[in-house]
Amino acid sequence: MSKCLAQLKIVNRLHILRAEHRITQEQLAKEVGVTRATIVAIERGGYNPSLELAFRLARYFQTDINTIFSAEEENK
Amino acid sequence: MKRLDSILLKVFLYGLPAVVALAVFSYSYGLGIINHAAGHVKLLYNFAGFIFAFWMMLSIYLSVRLMVSGWFRDKALAKLTFMRERDEREVVLTGKATKTTFLTSLAILIFLFCLSCFQVSIYRVPPEKALNGKTGFVSLGLGFDLLERSAQAKPDDAIQKNDILSYTGLPVSSTTVILVLILWQIISYNYSMRRLTKCMEGNGPR
Repeated sequence: MSKCLAQLKIVNRLHILRAEHRITQEQLAKEVGVTRATIVAIERGGYNPSLELAFRLARYFQTDINTIFSAEEENK
Repeated sequence: MKRLDSILLKVFLYGLPAVVALAVFSYSYGLGIINHAAGHVKLLYNFAGFIFAFWMMLSIYLSVRLMVSGWFRDKALAKLTFMRERDEREVVLTGKATKTTFLTSLAILIFLFCLSCFQVSIYRVPPEKALNGKTGFVSLGLGFDLLERSAQAKPDDAIQKNDILSYTGLPVSSTTVILVLILWQIISYNYSMRRLTKCMEGNGPR
């Protein structure tokens, strides 16, 4: 990656939305067609989902992608 | 074709214990004993030979199919290497682990190639054959043969030398090298996969 570009950190509100909808990680994983480990990794910030999965999550929670995911500039 | 391959793969795998049992049986009863053995033991020995020949042909067929059929490779080798791609995260992890395995295997192959090419010899010659009063020599060389080289007879006028150290290529057989590389591929892939999974689930993005 170019040195001029600042590193972006993708943060998400997935665990908050999941709690609001009272749904377990296992149930959410089943609904969007991934494994529970993937939901765990996304919630912990260890894995950034593909655009397709992000849309599927947004569609499931009946919201837009920006409500779930946002980008922050990473301080070094 | 796919159905036939699946059936033959099962025959190959389920036949493995039978082949091992037959090998133990053949080892226990040497050819000398078999020649003087009762009719049924002789018959069983001959049957074991046919089974083994069939199993060998089957293994050749399956290894060729593994090389040419993508579907068969995915089915058989993915199971053998415990490869799982149930969702996009596992596909990403598999890609990263495969890259690590490929690059480390390449590094090992380069290292082995160097070891198989280099030739080092440290030796002493009798005082009457000394060169400039020196009897100790170090000889370095590079050797590359496209085909397996048979041992050559020493020429009659060769200098009588007392080898202190002589290295002329890898001291292990090509079968051992291939087996070690196969095991390395499986172990390296699974280790990388486990490490990457832990990183992704625990400490954030890598």
